[in-house]
Amino acid sequence: MKLISCLRYACPSILPLLTFCVLSGVSRGAVAIGDSNVQIGGFFSQGYLYSNNNNLPTEDVGGTWNFREAAFNVTDTIGAHLRVGAQVFEQDFGNIGNDKMILDWAIADYNFTPWFGIRAGRVKYPKGLYGEALDLDVVRPFVLLPEAVYSPILRDFTASFDGAMIYGSVNVLKSSFDYKVFGGNIPINPDKGVADFYNDGGGLYAGNGVADLRMDSVAGTQLVWNTPVSGLKFVGSYSYFSNLQTDGPFAAYPPVNLRTNIPKFSWITYSSEYTFGDWVFAAEWQRTGGDLLLTAPLLGFASSEFVGWDGWYVSASRRLGEKFQIGAYYGNNQVRTGYSSSNSSDYQHDTALSLRYDLNDHVLFKIEAHYFDGTYETFNTARIMNPNPKPNNTVFAAKTTISF
Amino acid sequence: MNTRTLRHLGVLAVLFASLSLAGAAPVIIVNKSIEKEKVDAATLKSVLLGKKVAWDSGGRAILAVLKSGPVADEFLKGAVDMSGSSFNNYWRRLAMTGGGTAPHSFEKEEDLRKYVADTPGAIGFVDSANVDASVAVLTLAP
Repeated sequence: MKLISCLRYACPSILPLLTFCVLSGVSRGAVAIGDSNVQIGGFFSQGYLYSNNNNLPTEDVGGTWNFREAAFNVTDTIGAHLRVGAQVFEQDFGNIGNDKMILDWAIADYNFTPWFGIRAGRVKYPKGLYGEALDLDVVRPFVLLPEAVYSPILRDFTASFDGAMIYGSVNVLKSSFDYKVFGGNIPINPDKGVADFYNDGGGLYAGNGVADLRMDSVAGTQLVWNTPVSGLKFVGSYSYFSNLQTDGPFAAYPPVNLRTNIPKFSWITYSSEYTFGDWVFAAEWQRTGGDLLLTAPLLGFASSEFVGWDGWYVSASRRLGEKFQIGAYYGNNQVRTGYSSSNSSDYQHDTALSLRYDLNDHVLFKIEAHYFDGTYETFNTARIMNPNPKPNNTVFAAKTTISF
Repeated sequence: MNTRTLRHLGVLAVLFASLSLAGAAPVIIVNKSIEKEKVDAATLKSVLLGKKVAWDSGGRAILAVLKSGPVADEFLKGAVDMSGSSFNNYWRRLAMTGGGTAPHSFEKEEDLRKYVADTPGAIGFVDSANVDASVAVLTLAP
């Protein structure tokens, strides 16, 4: 009943469209409208999350159906080189998202040549193998991407940016290089999952936590080397936020405002992926960090500390015939400064095992088990309560996705 | 039927499947508006992966692909070094993230051929046995 209730209230506008498209027969990744260049696409996912000890990655101790996403997009081409399109997206992830529809991407893209194009508007944020495809269950066997590199709490913070990107692809001998260079800003607010990083433990902000979140800009680049070895590619991604700032009631003295500022918060991600027959192997390593400056001028308070984490994972998956795919990964995420292997709040080791079943081209099912060792990034906030986190946690996830 | 007969039938089925696969001879077909376009293997790959979106002679490059089957598998392996499912995922990712316009997919070669014949700038592939005069066959430039 709970699931049916969730489905009834979730995505009322998208579900009928999805049903129509799936039943009417669709094309590879999108539906063409008649003979025009207009294409529509989308997906709806509903999942179930259960964890036994801690609310990780979200409010899921004892189980929750608040785990779904939906998206709907339209694109059109104008002339030979111009393409325009947009996608709306909604998510319910524990107490994050709450099925509020947002503009996920909306772009105008002019491709001058294969080696040079410009994309502007709200653009997907390139980072690692999956940064632009965080929500696409159809392209991976896993329910949850490795948290060490893709924190689901940060999805609404790092999925896209407002700005512009230049991109292109250059062939060099038997390999090719795809590049992207981008800049803009990310609209953020205290409803975003990133707020939990500031509200964790209540050490910085009192009451409802951080009251204002903003940044000056984001900029970055990504280079993909499609090597001469069949199926092997390497990816390097770098980006940074300028002046990531927050304001809110200081936990030490709530009448006074505490401002934090990270003048430069950087993300470096190195990735590799090797597809060999039915196998896909992947590994990614990510380093983040920046100096966090805290000031409460009315109290004459000023302080600074370095914040950041190192995360990596290795994964393998294999197709078993047309219908099944199994996958596994091991990830490690840990604080960069003052790390101690004897302090479980300094690290998080994540071992995952997944099974995917494709009913047809448009409907898939996944089940997954995780064993988490360590409580790093196990938040304790109003939205994700863990007043007494246990040092380990087992999570089960199930999810079905309808896409067209 | 005894076990030996079943085994023979199984071997015959495998042989038949192998012959069917070996018999797939995909050819590239294009709309006649672009039959003089010079396309080499690298250009074809670039078009199939959505990196080259316009023909040198002008007009948008419009992709038409078969959804599945031995012709699609053999063509995609040779042209972009991907399996059908990898190619499918590649385009799903692009289409759903604002990175490109997905190819038009067809179950039947006849439908694909007709679409290419009727659509200026279209390029696709079918088995050589399914080519007719409504489309031009593209030979890759060296």
